[in-house]
Formats: sequence, structure tokens, C-alpha cells
Amino acid sequence: MPRYSALALLRARFQGARYWKPLWTGRTLKAAYDVVVVGAGGHGLATAFHLARDHGLKVAVLERRLVGYGNVGRNTTILRSNYLLPENHYFYEDSLRRWETLSRDLNYNVMYSPRGVVDLCLSDGDMITASRRGNAMRLAGIDSELMELDALERFAPELAPRRSRRFPIVGALVQRRGGTARHDAVAWGYARGATALGVDIIEDCEVQGLCTEAGVATGVETSKGLVRANRVVFATAGHTGMVGAMLGVPLPIETHLLQAMVTEPIKPLINSVLIYVHPGHGETYVLQSDRGGVVMGGYLDGFPSYTREGQWHRLEEVVQGAADLLPEIGGLRILRQWAGTNDMTMDGSPIMDRVKYDNVFLNAGWCYGGFKTIPASGAACATLVATGLAPDIARGFRLSRFATGHLLDERGGGPFPVRL
Amino acid sequence: MSRLICPFCGPRELREFEFHKTLPNAGDTPFERVYLRVDSLTHSVEHWQHIQGCRAWLHVERNPSTGAVLVMRLATAPGVA
Ligand SMILES: Cc1cc2nc3c(=O)[nH]c(=O)nc-3n(C[C@H](O)[C@H](O)[C@H](O)COP(=O)(O)OP(=O)(O)OC[C@H]3O[C@@H](n4cnc5c(N)ncnc54)[C@H](O)[C@@H]3O)c2cc1C
Ligand SMILES: [Zn+2]
Repeated sequence: MPRYSALALLRARFQGARYWKPLWTGRTLKAAYDVVVVGAGGHGLATAFHLARDHGLKVAVLERRLVGYGNVGRNTTILRSNYLLPENHYFYEDSLRRWETLSRDLNYNVMYSPRGVVDLCLSDGDMITASRRGNAMRLAGIDSELMELDALERFAPELAPRRSRRFPIVGALVQRRGGTARHDAVAWGYARGATALGVDIIEDCEVQGLCTEAGVATGVETSKGLVRANRVVFATAGHTGMVGAMLGVPLPIETHLLQAMVTEPIKPLINSVLIYVHPGHGETYVLQSDRGGVVMGGYLDGFPSYTREGQWHRLEEVVQGAADLLPEIGGLRILRQWAGTNDMTMDGSPIMDRVKYDNVFLNAGWCYGGFKTIPASGAACATLVATGLAPDIARGFRLSRFATGHLLDERGGGPFPVRL
Repeated sequence: MSRLICPFCGPRELREFEFHKTLPNAGDTPFERVYLRVDSLTHSVEHWQHIQGCRAWLHVERNPSTGAVLVMRLATAPGVA
């Protein structure tokens, strides 16, 4: 695998298309591996990468469709670590630190852009909640600033926070190191990195069952035949509910759609990620892609679905919120709208643990926020699988927490993934 | 699935309804009832409520892969499908 550099690019310029070789295709499925990872989304690929790099294991990633066709290629790429609960914010912060060096670590430009994440406050109550979260973060050494209008006006002038609105903005909780990255590049970068370390990435290979012997998993049944494995990791995101069905264990997960949409490209207007929870419209978040499109998203559609078609009323709500926040984008045309299936846990926090068998692992339940955690999740899950022990920052993500009551409920919303 | 047909109110926009929970319960203990879910690609049995209409509790059966609504009627006792 050639190393990318400015010099290599220059050389490629003269070799033309011949320089660019496929990055991960063409591997054949072998009969046995140390670890089989199911699902070539961000989490599966990152886990495989770290299993090979940090623990020297022989790994295959089996993907029922193509690399990057799941949520890793459908999300709105917001990166942040502004979580309230320690079990979450230490983990998300570990991930944010990894984003800062990821392009170098993978030798692949993931276009990490720390443009700042702005959580807008519309009332004194919002400011109090925001300051509680911000202070919890600062106690953990994570950057967080509570801004009133003057500071916010300086940080996000495009917002014109003082402009006349039905629900005036009073301030914001800002994480400057938060931002975005390029979703596809993350999948491609990890796939390339893993392949270079000898990982076999097999596309068009659906895992249909688990082979077991005397209470131990021995491999998986796939659409391409049986594969033996000492350990199996499910990183199946929106299909984790089906993994529960396959293993015969009901999981604390419901499958819900989240949609997003993007407008025609315009000149740079929005400098940061704006998150706006509006009493009339629900949630909208808005950012501008590097290509210039205004990317928008909001709440889940609200009921279990595998259709990947977003519902109209949610789209309408998101767009109304965005146009309310930034009236100047109201006339733009929407070019694309799409949805992805999300593995929503009953407390909104992830699961990284064994499931049913001692050598079967679940890296799932990332809900609608699992893009940002890909780097930390890969490293932590690889440690869990290779050593049998999760690193400290991932200890809270046990499957048993639902039974023992050690929930990580950021929202304080109770066991309903979609209730607000 | 942009509309649902309420047995009392007739066809109404989806936004008037609220999904509550899938059925049947994964087991009988409170933990299983509250936290665990039985997932299906093709047949999901659910409780919904017509919150912005007559507020009736509804028993809904859908195909979550196509969005087709198969059954929609008044719900019986809580947790019973
Ligand atoms: C619209 C939208 C916006 C989002 N915005 C953000 C955001 O701004 N920030 C953020 O942090 N997160 C966001 N998320 C969430 C984030 O995308 C997901 O949490 C994360 O991508 C899930 O992990 P993954 O990348 O491994 O999933 P995926 O890419 O979905 O990978 C799972 C893979 O497993 C494969 N698979 C499933 N079952 C099998 C099987 N039986 N055999 C073989 N392969 C199988 C699937 O085909 C899929 O490729 C968003 C999600 C959506 C849908
Ligand atoms: Zn009704």
C-alpha cells in the first residue's frame, strides 16, 4: 500500500489513474480467523484495525453490503464530547483526542474540522442546564464555554443572535474543539489501514448465524459459507436488533430512523455546528459541508423502522427550525434527503460487552451519536476482545447495566429511546 | 406511512400519533418488560396512542421493512397483544 504524502500526490499527478489502486477489495475469505468482525461500518473497521495493529490478531470483517453503505456514510458527521455523565464524557473525549491526530495515524485525510459545536439556549432554564453540563465537562478537563450574547455574537456572527426572533436566543454552550469530519473518508481510511495490516474485508457477505459448540462460539454462518473464529464481534449498528433475534437474546435496543438532508451548495455562511432545540419545531441542527451544502438534521422519526425512508413531518420540522434560525437559507433547494437505521438503546448510551457467550462481543447501541466515537470505540473494543477486559473508559457500557439499574441516561428520559 | 387510520377518527396524519412500545414483552420480570425488546424485520406489534386526537390507545401491527400497516385497532389490556 503506497504511503500518501505531498510527494506521492505529485508523483500520482504524472502517473495518472494508474497510481490509484483499489484500497481494500480483492481479498478472499479464509476458513478461519482469530476474530471475525461483523459489519464494515466505522465501528467494525476501527475495531478490526486496532485488533490487527495493537494486538497482532488475524481478523476478517464481513459486510453484507459494501464498505460505508451503512450509517457511517449517512450521518451528519458531528464530533463533540459535550456529554454530562462521566461514563460518557471521558469516553467521548478520548475519541475527540483521537480525531485530532486521526488523519496522521491513518495516513488518510479524514478532514477533521474543529469548527466548534454551538448548543443554543433559548431560556434561563436552558442556560442553567447548559452550565451544569459545561461544568461537569470542565471538571473532567474537557473544553466547554458558556457564552452570553456578546461572546456568541463574536463566535458565530452568521447567527446574528440578537436578531428579532419569536424565541430569542439568550446564549450557548460552545465546545470549540468539536466539529466535523468527512464520513466516507473515515470508512475508507480505516478500511485501507486495516487492509494494509492484513485484515480481510469481505463485502457482500452476510452473517446469518452463529456456530457454537458446548456453549462457546466457534464461528459464523455466512452467505459465503462457514467461517471459523475464536472470537466474534458484532458491530452491526442499525441491525443489532436482528443480531439479538439471531442469538435468541432480546436486547435493550429499538431500531429507529434518523434522517438528514442537504441543500444546494452556497458560499461559506455557517462557520460552526449549530444545534437548536426550538419549543415550536423540535430539534434542528445545521452545519455547512465543505462542498457548501447546508446539512440539516433533527430528531428520530419516532417509531421502529428499517425502511430508511424519512417521514415527511420530521423533514418539515427540521427545515422549519433551520429557516427560523437562519432565515437567509429559507430559499435554498434541498438536493438530497436520506435516513439511516439507528440502534437506540433504552438509556441512549452504547453497549460494549460480551453477549450470551464468553467469546461473542457486542459493539453497538451507538444510537444517533456513534460517528464521533469511532476512533475510541475501535481501540477500546479491540482491547476488550483481545484481553477480555474493557479499558476503564468503556467500563460503563456493560450490557448488564440495564438489569442492575446503572443506567447512563443523559437525557433523564427513561426507557423510551424516542420520548423527549 | 404518512397517515394512520384511527378506529375512531379515521385517516389522520402520522404526526398526531405517538409510538409507545413494541409487543410482546420479552419476559415477565419488570426488567424484561421495561428494557428488553423483541425485534423483527417484517412484523412488529406495537402500542401507539392518538395523542393529538381522541387519545385512544391503539394496537398496531406493521411491517417495519416496508412501512405497511397491517392491523390498527383499539388496544386491549396493557402489555397484551
Ligand atoms: C441521519 C444520521 C445522522 C447522524 N448524525 C451523526 C452525527 O452527526 N454524529 C455522530 O456522532 N453520529 C451520527 N449518527 C450516528 C452514526 O452514524 C452511527 O451511530 C454510526 O455510524 C454507527 O456505527 P457504524 O458506523 O459502525 O454503522 P454502520 O455504518 O451502519 O455499520 C454497520 C454495518 O453492519 C452491516 N451489517 C449489519 N448486519 C450484518 C450482518 N448480519 N452481516 C454482515 N454485515 C452486517 C451493515 O450492512 C453495515 O454496513 C447519525 C446517524 C444517522 C442515520
Ligand atoms: Zn383517534
